[in-house]
Parts: sequence; C-alpha cells; structure tokens
Amino acid sequence: MIVVEHLSKAFRDYQRGWVSAVTDVSFDCRPGEIFGLLGPNGAGKTTTLRILSTVLRPTGGRAVVAGFDVATHPEAVRSRIGYMSANTGIYDRMTAWELVDYFGRLHGLEGDRLLERMESTFDWLQMNDFRDVLGSKMSTGMKQKVSIARTMIHDPPVLIFDEPTSGLDVLVARVVLQKIAELRERGKTILFSTHAMHEVEKLCRRVAIIHKGRVQAIGSPSGLLEQYDQPDLEELFFHLVDRAEKEKYDYDSARPVDETALK
Amino acid sequence: MRWSIIRLIWSREVRDQLRDRRTLFMIFVLPILLYPIIGIGTVQFSAALDQQARTVVVIGARFLPETPPLLNASRDGFDPRWFDSVAEAERLKVVLPKAEAEADWLDPELRERGIRARVADAVVVIPEDIRAQLERDAAPRLPIYYDSAGERGQITYLRLKEVQEHWKNEIMSGRLARDKKPSTYAEPIRIQPVDIATATEIGGGIWGKLFPFLIVMMSLTGAFYPAVDICAGEKERGTMETLLISPASRAEIVMGKFLTVVLASMTTAILNVVSLAVTGLQMASLVGGAASAGRRSAAAALAPPTLTSAFWMILLLIPLSVFFSAVCLALAVLARSMKEGQYYMTPLYMICLPLIMLTLMPGVELNLFYSLVPITGVSLLLKALITSDYQTAWRYFLPVLVPTVCYGAIALRWAIDQFESESVLFRESERFDPRLWFRHLLRDKDPRPTGGQALFCFALMITLAWFLMQAIATSAAANGGSASTWTMAIGQVGFILAPPLVLAFALTSDPLGTLRLRLPRAKYLAYAVGLALAANPLSHALGPIVESLFPVSKAIARSINEMISGTQSLAATLLLFAVIPAVCEEFAFRGFILSGLESGHKTRTAILMSAILFGFLHVLLSLFQQLFNATLLGLVIGLLAVRSRSIWPGITFHLINNALAIFLGRMAAAPASAGLAGRLFSDPAHATYDVKVVLLGAAAAAVLITRLAREPNDRADAVTDLPVSAPGSA
Repeated sequence: MIVVEHLSKAFRDYQRGWVSAVTDVSFDCRPGEIFGLLGPNGAGKTTTLRILSTVLRPTGGRAVVAGFDVATHPEAVRSRIGYMSANTGIYDRMTAWELVDYFGRLHGLEGDRLLERMESTFDWLQMNDFRDVLGSKMSTGMKQKVSIARTMIHDPPVLIFDEPTSGLDVLVARVVLQKIAELRERGKTILFSTHAMHEVEKLCRRVAIIHKGRVQAIGSPSGLLEQYDQPDLEELFFHLVDRAEKEKYDYDSARPVDETALK
Repeated sequence: MRWSIIRLIWSREVRDQLRDRRTLFMIFVLPILLYPIIGIGTVQFSAALDQQARTVVVIGARFLPETPPLLNASRDGFDPRWFDSVAEAERLKVVLPKAEAEADWLDPELRERGIRARVADAVVVIPEDIRAQLERDAAPRLPIYYDSAGERGQITYLRLKEVQEHWKNEIMSGRLARDKKPSTYAEPIRIQPVDIATATEIGGGIWGKLFPFLIVMMSLTGAFYPAVDICAGEKERGTMETLLISPASRAEIVMGKFLTVVLASMTTAILNVVSLAVTGLQMASLVGGAASAGRRSAAAALAPPTLTSAFWMILLLIPLSVFFSAVCLALAVLARSMKEGQYYMTPLYMICLPLIMLTLMPGVELNLFYSLVPITGVSLLLKALITSDYQTAWRYFLPVLVPTVCYGAIALRWAIDQFESESVLFRESERFDPRLWFRHLLRDKDPRPTGGQALFCFALMITLAWFLMQAIATSAAANGGSASTWTMAIGQVGFILAPPLVLAFALTSDPLGTLRLRLPRAKYLAYAVGLALAANPLSHALGPIVESLFPVSKAIARSINEMISGTQSLAATLLLFAVIPAVCEEFAFRGFILSGLESGHKTRTAILMSAILFGFLHVLLSLFQQLFNATLLGLVIGLLAVRSRSIWPGITFHLINNALAIFLGRMAAAPASAGLAGRLFSDPAHATYDVKVVLLGAAAAAVLITRLAREPNDRADAVTDLPVSAPGSA
C-alpha cells in the first residue's frame, strides 16, 4: 500500500536558488495494482520515487509506504520495498549469484531461508545459466534480470520501478514487463513510472500524468480519455502538456514551507 | 549500527577490491616491483657515473719538479701513489696540450669555452717558476679551473683536490726530512673524532628520514584509489543507489566502506615499507661486500630499524590510515565520477606534502606544537621511533596519538555527513554559468549566509590580512620605521571587520539579523559581564601553564610587551587592544561566520567550528599560544551570541576580557598591594590571582555557563528562516 499526500520537494540550486522538482503530488496505490506515473523526462517522476524509497526527504506533504511514513521510519520502509530503475546498476566484479546473495543478506536473510529464496528467484527469472557470470561479462538482458532478482530477493510487499525499460531492446523490455505483470498477480503493490504510453496501456489500471512536478490528471486510462475527450493516451498526454505549458504557475507557493526540513 | 551489516558490506568491498586489477597493482605489485627496480637503477646509475674517467688538461707540465712526480711515467694520468687504489687513478685522465695550443688554454675566454664544451672537465695551470718557488720553500699557486654547476666538474675537482693534497704532503715530508724535523712538526694537533652512535642509530638517520615520508605518502595513496573506486565509482556505475535503498543505514554503509579503505591504506603502507627495507638491506650487503674502509659505514647506515620500532610504527600507522581513509572517503563521495575523484587528488597531495616535508627539514624536532599538527606529528613520531629515540617517542606518544585519533574521528563524521546529504549523493552534473550564478547570488538572497559563504569569509579575511600586513610593513619601511600600532589597528578594521560587513550586505537579505545587531535583553549583558569577570582569574592562571608547554620565544615576548605597555596612554591602549579587536572580531566570528555555520549545521557544531576558526585566526595572525585561549573564548561567546541572538553581549565579554589583560599588565608594572588588589592577588607584582579567587571564579563561571546553556534561544522578534525571494520574482 502506498499513500502519497500533497508531496513536495524543492532543491537548492547554486544558480537558480530554490527550485521545486515536485509540487503537491497526491495518489495512492493498492495491493495487486500497478499504478503508473507517466511523464516526460524531468517531470519529477524520479524525484517522487526517490522520496518513496527514502533516499530523498520530502520538503512538504507526506508519504506512507507499507504502513510506514517515509520521513519518520525510513529504515522500516526500506526493508519493505524493492526498487529498480534504469540507473540502478549491478556490480561489475560480482557474479549474479553473489550479488543477489549480498542483497538478501543486507535484508537480513540467512541460511536455508536465503538459499530457498535464491533458488526460487533464480528459477522464476530463468537465471541459472549465468549464475556465476561476472557483472561486467553480462548482456543487458542478464543485467536486467539480476536487477529484478535483487529487487525481489526479500519478497517485499511494495515494488517501485522507475523507467525499468528505458534503453532496453524490445525483447528484454518485453521480459521485464512480463515479470512485472506476474508480480501484480502475486498481489504486490507496484508503482511504475515510464514515458512510454503503450506500457501504461498494457499494465496499469490507474495512472497519474505528471508534468513540471505536478499531477496534471489522474484516473484509469480509459476514464481519462473520456474525461478529456482524446482518442488515445498519446494525444491525451500532449493535450495535458500543452495545457500545463500555457498555465503560468505561481512558483512561490511551490517553495518549501519550512526550511528546517532541509537540514 | 549493526556490526553484522558493517561486516557484510566490508567483506563485499574487500572482495571487490581484490578482484580489481588496478587496485591489486597499486597495492601489491607496484611496491614489490618498484623498489628493487629503483635499487638496481640507482646502483647501476651511480656506478656508471662513478667509473667514467674525467679529463684534466694540465698546462705547463714541463715546469713540474722531477720529485715527487705529479704525473705518471707515460704522462697520461696522475701518479698512482696519490690515490687510494689503482682503479681510482685510472678515473682521472691527463691531457697535455702541445706547446702551441697552451696559449689557447691560458686565454681565459677560450679556456672557459673549452670547459663548458667539456673538452676538459678541469684545467690545472702549473706556474713557470714552480721549481724555483719550491726550492726556496715558498707556496706556489696551482689554479684549478672547473665548472661547479655541473656534477662532472664537482667530482673532477674533488678528485683533483685529493691528488694535490697527497702530493703536497709528500713535498712537505721531503722538507721535514731535509730540515731534520719530526713529522709532527707540521701537524701540532691531531683531531680524533669518537662517534658514539651505533650502527642502528646511524641507519636510523637515513631510514628515519625516508620511512616516515614513505609510510605517510603510501598510506595516503593506498587510501585514495580504493576510496574513489568505492564511492565515486559506485555512483558512476549506478550501484550506490541500490545500496542506499537497502535496509543498511548510511552510517553502516560508510563504516563498511571506511574499514575497506583503512585496510587498503595500511596494506599499501606496510608492503611499501617492507619492500623498501628488503631492497635497502640487499643494497647494504652489496655495498658492504665490497668492504673498503669508507664503505663499511655506508653498510651500517642502511641497517634496518629494530623490531621494537617496527611494531610501534605499525601501531602508529592505524590512526594515520584512519585519518587519511576518512578524508579520502569524504572527498570521494563528493565526486560524481572516478574522473572527478582523481581531480581531488592534487589538492590533497598539495596540502599533505608540505606537512610531511617538514620532517625532512634539518632541525625540526618533535615538540608539543608539532604533535598537534596533523600528519607532521605522526611523521615526526615515526622518525623518533625509527632512530630509536625512545625518550622523545614515549614523551609525545599520547600527544600525537590523541589528536590524530580526534582528527580521524572528525574526518569520519564528515564522511558520514556527506553520505547523509542529498545534494552530495544526487548531485546532477549541471552546466556552470558564472554570470547566472553571480546574478543569482546577488538577486535571490536568503536572510542568512550559507556555511560555504561563512568559510569563504574566513578565507577572505586571512588573504586580506596577508596582503594588507605586507603592504603596511612595506610602506612603513619606506617611511623609515616599523609599522606603528595605530596602522596595525586600522589594518584590523580593513581585514577583519570589512569582509563580514561587505559580505553580509552583499549576500544576505537580512544583514542586520546576520550580524546580530539587534539589542539584547539586559540579562544577557549581565551574563557577559559576570562571565568575563568570573572566568578571568582562571584563564589568567592557565596562561603560565600553556606558556610552559609551548614557550614563546623571548624576542617575540619582548616585542609584544613593548607593543602593549608601550608609551601610549591607557585610553589609547584600551582602544587599540580591547575596543577595536572586540568589535572587529565579534562582527566577523559571532556575526557573519557563526550565522552562516548555523544555517548548515547543528548549533553545537556551528559554535564549535566558529570557535576553532577564531582560534586559528589567532594562530595565523598572532601567536600559536593563543589557540587554546581564543578557542575557549570563542565557545563561550558563541553560546552567548546564539542564546541572546545579539552580538553585543559577545562584544561586552570580549572587551572586558581584553581590558582586564591590559590592566593586569599595567598593574604588574606598577604594583599596588593595598586595598582590593591585596585581597585579590597573592602576588600583585606578577598579577597572580589568589588561589581562592581562581577557584571561586571558575565555579561561578561554570554555573553561569550551565545556566546559559540551558536557556532557550531568545526568540523575541526573531526572523523566520524562510527564503524570501523566489527565482524570477525579484
């Protein structure tokens, strides 16, 4: 379960002063659901997901992940989520088995339980062929599988995927999407960000379209098309982006309310 | 912190490093290969240099006396009896120019050209009347022309001098025999040097210089590469984020990585030293094997340090590696990529090198001051241990160890802070436009300066001080005198007061609040007066202790005394040494700098940092001995400034503190034993407070500080810490 309420994040920039990356974002995501975050590069998707994974602290609003507030119980949140993004790499000088084993241990798994999780994860992702291949020698597809295995090893109830298919060829992307769909069947709460419309159409029951750090529209893909009277998601997306560009935002309200939260 | 997690991260990092060819090469292969290669190179090179024959042109050889003969029979070299061995005789070749060419060699210009063109490495001119002069017991002059700028010329000259010395002695004994005088006639006193140094100690002399240098450099190098790899490298490869999202806490991640770097640093240092020692021993036995008299001492000079000192060296290596590892780790996490990480190496070496080089300088010996200097203290202690100077080593073991451990802890804390900072971990590479940055700086101001701006202010003060003091001294010297105390005081306004004032107005939207110019509540002024009076006897009593530990040179003490108790009136002295410093330093340190540090750190840390900077200013501009006093003073005034949100209590405290010092100085000059003075002081002539007064004052000061620390910050009409202007809205 993920609940996000009025979440904001502002950074201090050397050249532009305070810059808000995310402003007043609210949504929720339930078990067995894939919730999509759709937006162009720099829309604030990654910042939102980083706040949910507790590596960034929000400057306004709150977020509860798996029953814990990200600001007050970051450790509890981290042990209950799996996070994977296009940027998260794998260690070059570790084999697939060693890497997944390492993260299992970091999550407190040991002995038979760890071994059992390892075997079932490697079977599920069909990774037994390259158990002992070093990260530097793996193909992109192998690396992506190892990343999913790392994300899944502790069987977390909440999964966060930040553009997991970006930069992948269609075959590998297809496998990744298949596995995410399988995870939904297992009843996981899944947050999925992308800038590819068809992925959203295929996977997500509900979606939030984000641009310039704000949620422009939220709802089921079909409901949104109806609401805005657009033929497909792509047109809807451009319509919303256009609308956002025309509006002039009052950036002052986007600034952090309490600077001490940044310290 | 969970040790199981730290151990898990540590073992992964170590395994990762062991699988990295670069690291393996730097840590294991390089030291094992480097020293033997350098050793062989040195031996071969010096041998080649040594064995080359040098050419000496002898002009007027026909004037030489028959006995004793200077040249050999074939006249292409010097007579072998003037050398220690025949082999050595062959290394000086004599060329006798033909009679018509001799005129050229006698022409100074042509001769110089000949030597520079290396036709001859040296030219000896035999005077025409040498025989006549020798016969009438005169001392004929034998000029040797050579080029001392080159090694060739130097070596040739030294060899020639030896030849002449032996030849001269032979002529002398001929004269003594002729006149039937004993050989002692010409040598009335013989000096007999007796060296009490053992072979180990002499060996320590060379190792003592080389080892500390090498250990320090290698523990730094050994820490740097792995640190960059496991911080900047992980960021670059995208694995850092996965680690941050795991349940391991930041402190656990840092500790795991930190211990890896410590291990790499220590291994590199130890392997380098062992490899150097083995090579050195090998070389020593090689040289010793030749076994000529002069060389036995060379063999002794390369004798290794004892096992005991080796043990202590390794023990001392731990805090040093801890310190370097923490510094490297904090720097490495700043970097976005391996490449950027490498950029940080040069400045780091630039800072460390002079601190290590200090130990190579003659006359620099371990004392309490050096023991506090990071790196230098450890290097000097290593030197003492290697030269078996255990007396010095034991005395300063703790004074070196404790500060080094403290510096290591501070650096580690810094590294953890870096890991907890979002802006450091997720620094995006942005294009830097100086114009945009400058415009933003002046336009979108915050009410308080940043920590970086506070440190910049300090650096600006020091830089300005350096140039202004130079300028004042130069202009005073031009006017024929030394700078007066007045110009020095005006200088203080220029380099201590001006920077914080200008920066506060230029960089913040609330300069008055930044400088804490609002009036305080009366109780804080009362605190200031009470604390200044109560703490004075204690600080006065501590003065002599500091002075005995870190003696001030007599010349400096005299000039300071002259400055303070000079010819000025009391009012002028108070203005110069109490009012002006109090106002200037408070504006800078409790105004701009403390405000800036407060906006990035906990209040406690901010006060401590501003106090340390305050102490450093006194070290840099005045006396090292003031470090302790100024830092303590800075802590108390910092607390006053934070609690009262005003600068005035601090100025009051500072003023009273300095004024009391002046009064006590004056009183010592003209003691008054009656009245109040008689009760307060046990020795008015030295302005020594009575022990009871000291204890009472200290207790009162402690009570006041505790009370002050427990007070909440004065929030009356406090400015909110909101950023007031938005981008583009101004």
